[in-house]
Amino acid sequence: MPISLFWVQCGGCGGDSISFLNAESPNFVEVLKGAGIRLLWHPSLSDATIGERRALVERLRQGEEALDILVVEGSIVRGPSSTGMYDTHEGRPKKDLVAALARRARFVVALGTCASFGGIGVDGPIEASGLQFRRCEPGGLLGADFRAASGLPVVNLAGCPCHPEVLAGTLMALAVDVRLEMDEFNRPLAWYGMTVHQGCTRNEYHEYRIEEEDFGQKGCLFFHKGCHGPLVGGPCNKLLWNRRSSKTRAGVPCFGCTSPEFPTVDPFFFTRNIEGVPTALPNGIIRSHYLVYKTMAAAAAPERLKNRKAEI
Amino acid sequence: MANRVICDIPLNRVEGDLEIKVAVEDGRVVDAWSSGTMFRGFERMLVGRAPLDGLVITPRICGICSLTHLTAAAKALDGIAGVAPPPNAGRLRNVALMAETMQSDVRQSVLMHMNGFANVFHSGHDLYDQAVARYASLAGERSLDVVRQTKRIVEIIALIGGQWPHTSFMVPGGVVYAPPVSDILKCRNILSQFRSWYEGTVLGCPTERWLEVDSRQALEAWLAESSRHRESDVGFLIRFGLGAGLGNLGRGYDRFLSYGSLELPEGTTVAGTAGRLVAAGFAEGVTVEAFDQARIAEHVASSWYRDYPGGRHPFDGETEPVPSGDEGGKYSWSKAPRYKGLAAETGPLAERIVAGDPLFRDLIADGGANALVRQLARLTRPTTYFQAMDAWLGELIQRFGEPVYHHPGDLQDGEGIGLCQAARGALGHWVRIKDGRIAHYQIITPTAWNGAPRDSEGLRGPWEEALIGIPVSDPDNPALLGHVVRSFDPCLVCTVHVVGASGRRTL
Repeated sequence: MPISLFWVQCGGCGGDSISFLNAESPNFVEVLKGAGIRLLWHPSLSDATIGERRALVERLRQGEEALDILVVEGSIVRGPSSTGMYDTHEGRPKKDLVAALARRARFVVALGTCASFGGIGVDGPIEASGLQFRRCEPGGLLGADFRAASGLPVVNLAGCPCHPEVLAGTLMALAVDVRLEMDEFNRPLAWYGMTVHQGCTRNEYHEYRIEEEDFGQKGCLFFHKGCHGPLVGGPCNKLLWNRRSSKTRAGVPCFGCTSPEFPTVDPFFFTRNIEGVPTALPNGIIRSHYLVYKTMAAAAAPERLKNRKAEI
Repeated sequence: MANRVICDIPLNRVEGDLEIKVAVEDGRVVDAWSSGTMFRGFERMLVGRAPLDGLVITPRICGICSLTHLTAAAKALDGIAGVAPPPNAGRLRNVALMAETMQSDVRQSVLMHMNGFANVFHSGHDLYDQAVARYASLAGERSLDVVRQTKRIVEIIALIGGQWPHTSFMVPGGVVYAPPVSDILKCRNILSQFRSWYEGTVLGCPTERWLEVDSRQALEAWLAESSRHRESDVGFLIRFGLGAGLGNLGRGYDRFLSYGSLELPEGTTVAGTAGRLVAAGFAEGVTVEAFDQARIAEHVASSWYRDYPGGRHPFDGETEPVPSGDEGGKYSWSKAPRYKGLAAETGPLAERIVAGDPLFRDLIADGGANALVRQLARLTRPTTYFQAMDAWLGELIQRFGEPVYHHPGDLQDGEGIGLCQAARGALGHWVRIKDGRIAHYQIITPTAWNGAPRDSEGLRGPWEEALIGIPVSDPDNPALLGHVVRSFDPCLVCTVHVVGASGRRTL
C-alpha cells in the first residue's frame, strides 16, 4: 500500500519546493519512489485537474481516503484580525483547510521556517504563525497539544529554504515509521543538532578571533557581520548546498534562518556587541569564560591568519 | 444573455495558486478577471528596517527567482550609495542571475507548462501519446531528465554566492566574496556541461545553428531539416503547440516592456545594446521606443488597497490593504502597473521584441503574440545567454585578483531604483532611505505587470485581455486557458497567491 502525501502551499515563496527539486541522490522523484510514496497533489507539479483536486480534498477531509503525510509549506496566514482572509482557498481561509487535513493525517510536516514558526511575515499585518509555534511560543495554528494520528507533533523542518536532504531523509524515515529524535522545537536532531558553524571553512579564523568588519575578506563574520552560524542549528556546512558550498563559506553571514526567531528585528549583516564581544554567544557558554578564551586566542593567532593567508 | 456563464477557474501549476474568473458566451471567453488572493505585506514589512535588510528579506518573495529580487535590491542600494560595483562584481552578479534564469526557463517550460500536453483534454491530438510518454508530471521521460539536469546549473550560484535559492551575496558596492579561480573554472565546466545537455535534448542543435533561425520560414526549414530538431523539446513544443492551436490563442495587447538587464562590465568583450546584454524598451507591436521608468504608475482601482485616483509612480505609491471582498469592484491583491497609462506584457518574448529579434518579430507580425510564441521565447532564451556567460567566466579567470567590492560609505539618506529582467520579466524595487532606515519600499514584479487586474480606466490587464476569445468546454479542466496563462509564466508568490469564490453561477 503506497504512502499517500498531500502538499499544500500557504503564505510562502515556494522556495522549499524549488529547493527540493535540487535534491541529489536520491532526487525528488527517487525519494518518492524509494519510500513508496504516492504524491496525491503538489500545487506546482501535479497533473490532476482542479476538479479532480476538489474531489480529492473532499475525500481526505471526510476520511474516505487515507492521508499518510501532509506537507505544509509557507506560513499560516491568520490576518487580518485572525480571519485568515489574507490567504484564502475557494473563498475560505486556507488555514482552515490545513487544520482539517492535519486532523486526518498520520504525519504532519512543516516544511521551512515559515510553516514551522511563522518566519517571514510573523510580525507583519498578515499575522503569520507556524503550524504549532509562533516564533518560540508553542501554539500556532494547531495548538501545543496537537498530535497527528501517529502520535507525533508537527515535525518542523526549519530553514529558509529547508535543505532538500532534510526533507528527503524525513520522508524516508516517516515512510517506514522510524521515529526521529527531536529538539524542543520539534526539529529532528539528525540535522538541527549541530551548529551551522560546524564545517565552515572560516573556522580557523573564528578560532583565533580574526574578525572582518567589511565584506570581501576571508575572516570570521560572527563578531561584526551578523553571522548566526555559532548560534543556530542546521546542516548547511555538513551537507553543503547544491553539492558545492554554503553561505558562510562564500562570505555571506548566516542569518539564522533555521531559528524560530528568524527573521530577527535586529538588522542583518550586523552583530550587537559589548566591547567587541557579541551579546549573543553560543549555547551554554559563560560570558566571562568566553571573554578570557577569545582574548587569549586572539593573542595566540598566527601571522598567516592575521595576514589572511589561509584559504577558505 | 441566457448563454452567458461566469466560471471561477483556479489554475494549478503556477508558482502559487491562481484563480481566474471568466465570462463565457457560446463556449468562448468574453471577459476575464485575474484575481490575486494572497497578501504578504513585504513592502510594509521593510519600512523601518536597516538599509541592507532588503537584501535578505526580498529574495524570500520568490523561491524560483530569488536572485532577481536580490539584484534589484542591491542595485537600488548601489544607487543610493553612489557606487558602481567593480567590473568583476558585475560579472559575478550577471553570471549568477543568468544561471537562475536558465533553470527557471527550462523547469517552467517542461515541468509546469508542457506537462499540460499530457492533459486528457488533448487526447485527440496526433502527438498525445508521445506527450504523455515525454511530459507526464514527474513521470515522463523528459520530465525526469529535466529534474535530473536543471539543478546542475544553479551549482554556479552556490559557488559564487553560497547557495540557491535564497542567498544574499550581492551588497551595495559589489559582492561579498571573490571565489577562487578553481571555483570559476568549475563554474565554466558546469556551464559547458549544461549547454551540451541543453543543445543535445532541449534544443536539438548547436546554439549557433538555432541563432541563424531568423524568420517563420527559417523556423519551418529548421524543423524540416532534422529529426533531432523535431524531437527536441523545442521541436516538440512547436509541433504540439501548432496542432493544439496555441499559435492562435492568447494575443493580448501586443505591447511589450523590458527594463533591460545584465549591465556590460567595463572592459568586456561581450556586445550589447546601450551598455546591457538585454535591451531596455517599450514596444507597441514591433515599434520600439526608449524606456523611462518615470512613466510607470500603479493603479489600485480594482485592487484591495486604499483608493487613490489614477495611478501613482512607485516612489509615491503606498500599500495599505483594504480587504473588502467583492465590494466596489475590487478583486485582486495585485496592483495594476501601467506604462504611459497602458497595460503591457513583459517576459522573454517582450525582451526579444524590444531587442528587435528578427525571428520573434516575424512570428508576431501577422497574428500578434500568442501562447506558443511566448513559450518558445522562454525555452530558447538560454541560447542568447551561453556565449556571454562563458565570456564573463573567462574574463573572471583572466582578471582574477581584481576587486569585487568597493566600500559604499554610509547609507543614511537617498533614493534608489533597482531594475532588472527577472525570468518572468521586468522587476523593479524603488527604495528610499531616511535617517539610516528604510522609509519607503515599493516593488513591482513581472507578474504584477502580466497578471494585473483592471486599472482606474476599467481596462483589463495583459493576461485578462489575452484570455478573450479562448474556447472553454469544461470549466473543471480549462486546458487552453491554462496554456495561455502559463505562457506568461505566472509567479503568483511574487505578487500574491490567488484565490476566489468557488462554484459557478449562471447569470
